[in-house]
Amino acid sequence: MRIANSTTSTGPQTSENADNQQTAPVVQCQNVTRSYTGRGSGSLLGRKEHTQTVTAVSDVSVTVRERELVGIAGPSGSGKSTLLHLLAALDVPTSGVVTVNGTDTSSLSERALARMRLNNIGIVFQHFYLLPALSARANVALPLVELGLSRKERRSRASTLLEKVGLGDRESHKPSELSGGEQQRVAIARALSTKPKLLIADEPTGELDTETGASILDLFDDLRDECALVVASHDQQTLDRMDRVVRLQDGERIDDHA
Amino acid sequence: MSWLTRISGGTSVAIAQLKHERMRTVLAVVGLALAVLAATLLASVGTGVVATGQEKFDTSGRDLWITGGTARLTPGAGGVENPVMDSHKLQDTLEARDDIHTASPLAFKTVYVGNSTSEFETFVGVGGPARGKSVQITEGEAISQKDIHYANGTYEGPMLNEVVIDRQTANALNVSVGDTIYIGGTLASARQHEFTIVGISPTYSNFLGAPTVVVPLSELQEVTGTTGGDRSTMISVSLTEGNSPEQVASELEAEYPQYTIRTNQEQFEATLQRQAVVIASGLCLVALAFVAGIALTVNLLLSLVYQQRKQFAAFRALGGSTATLSTVVVAQALILGVLGGILGVALTIPAADLLNVLAAQLVGFEGLVQASDQVLIAGLVLAPVMSVLGSVTAVWRLSRMSPLTHLNA
Repeated sequence: MRIANSTTSTGPQTSENADNQQTAPVVQCQNVTRSYTGRGSGSLLGRKEHTQTVTAVSDVSVTVRERELVGIAGPSGSGKSTLLHLLAALDVPTSGVVTVNGTDTSSLSERALARMRLNNIGIVFQHFYLLPALSARANVALPLVELGLSRKERRSRASTLLEKVGLGDRESHKPSELSGGEQQRVAIARALSTKPKLLIADEPTGELDTETGASILDLFDDLRDECALVVASHDQQTLDRMDRVVRLQDGERIDDHA
Repeated sequence: MSWLTRISGGTSVAIAQLKHERMRTVLAVVGLALAVLAATLLASVGTGVVATGQEKFDTSGRDLWITGGTARLTPGAGGVENPVMDSHKLQDTLEARDDIHTASPLAFKTVYVGNSTSEFETFVGVGGPARGKSVQITEGEAISQKDIHYANGTYEGPMLNEVVIDRQTANALNVSVGDTIYIGGTLASARQHEFTIVGISPTYSNFLGAPTVVVPLSELQEVTGTTGGDRSTMISVSLTEGNSPEQVASELEAEYPQYTIRTNQEQFEATLQRQAVVIASGLCLVALAFVAGIALTVNLLLSLVYQQRKQFAAFRALGGSTATLSTVVVAQALILGVLGGILGVALTIPAADLLNVLAAQLVGFEGLVQASDQVLIAGLVLAPVMSVLGSVTAVWRLSRMSPLTHLNA
């Protein structure tokens, strides 16, 4: 069943609506649409060109609150990644408003957006994207350079985080010397290094076997007290571990339930 | 954040990446070192040529050089055009002046030389004084007398038939002091003119950069059949003490407008100007070495940025700044440049020594390649400049990097 796109709508009650007075919102999307305009050939000979607009996300509203674990589900091309990018302040909406910690992302410059991500958002990628030349500890410590921490502080915080994700004894290993699950744990530690209020993960178990994926999800559970978590995934086992799941289809929100 | 933190953090990553990709790093350093080596060696050759040329003029014991214009190669036999006419008369007129101590006409001709009448090789024949303080004799003696074959406008005086040669000529002909050689402008003439080697001297061969045989001017004119006109290539003049070369040159120019009168410095500069194409070629090679060094660094750092574009995009997505990534790239460029510069300069010294040995054997000049402190310092500076300039393109690519574009790809 399709539901209304706004949390203030009069549509069916969602779990979000039920809980929304309990904790403060970390990130909010209000009636957000993201369209992309490109050029396409308009005739067989390709002489005429016309602009083509594709709407990846249409009029979607989502609120993520502190300590909430939110899943984003949907088939390929449904707009999961686009919504994730909007929530992560990697992209800004064509219309509607995305606020992170109360600040409208559309009003910020590229540099200010980067600063906002640094201070508020951690991101975990499906393919980890660790720098191969750096040790696990150096990879985790790298974002801390941006915060101006001393070398000693960076190393200390990175070591603590690696201990926390169960890699205390592997901190001097390079990514090529770590398993996929271990690399993902390093990536999680890196995302947590700046003490974000929101952790965003795109298919975090997509590259991992079932057992390793489950251990990563356990780790996310343990992080609940530190930050809110938004996970985009196809995997039902992952989605089952979330507080609620926002389902998308053709760029529209079709469901949001616990 | 402080710049110090960024530089320290960026440099740590740069060092880690250079250590991680050892082969790439070594090849880059070697490439930059070769670019530096090419530039420093060419500069050392330039420095050496200038210094050696200057030294040769300074030690020649001459103050002025009188020429009839540029000494050109002639299409026929002889090889060199000798534009100064009535050389011996002019010599006498000049030496009659109080301010001139000696005036020595010099002629250069390509001549056939052999240690027998059956086999001949071509050498540069020098007609001029092979005696006195300005001629260094390393073995044997100088020519025993002045140019006596020319007497009162005729060539009827006796020929000394004495010759001074350099070591290369002696080796090429397999002769030594006391041996007989045959010299002439043609093979027929050479077979008829027998000379005794009285000494070995490097003076003229060093000055010309070629093996030489030196005989009195009139005897060279005789054996080459050029007595008509009493021609020479130039007249070198030494002044009596206390006279200014510039002042005397000015007076001689007014008296002999058909000739060009130059001081040592002017003559040297004129010699350099005649080598403009060679000098320009050398400068082009230095410029090409510089461009090659930049191209190498651009290629290297762009490949690094492309290879790790997703990792860099992820760092940007996490809030990392372009400035930090740029620091990583520039630090890598700087480290490669410094290492390449040190290696290039370290290689310059033995390479210059090797070239000097080769040059001494081939052309007789010693110390032709002079790797001066200035050249070595310039080499050290050149490599980091090349590599940092080369990093500009990579930094530009980083500044245009959109995290989403690369993470979605």
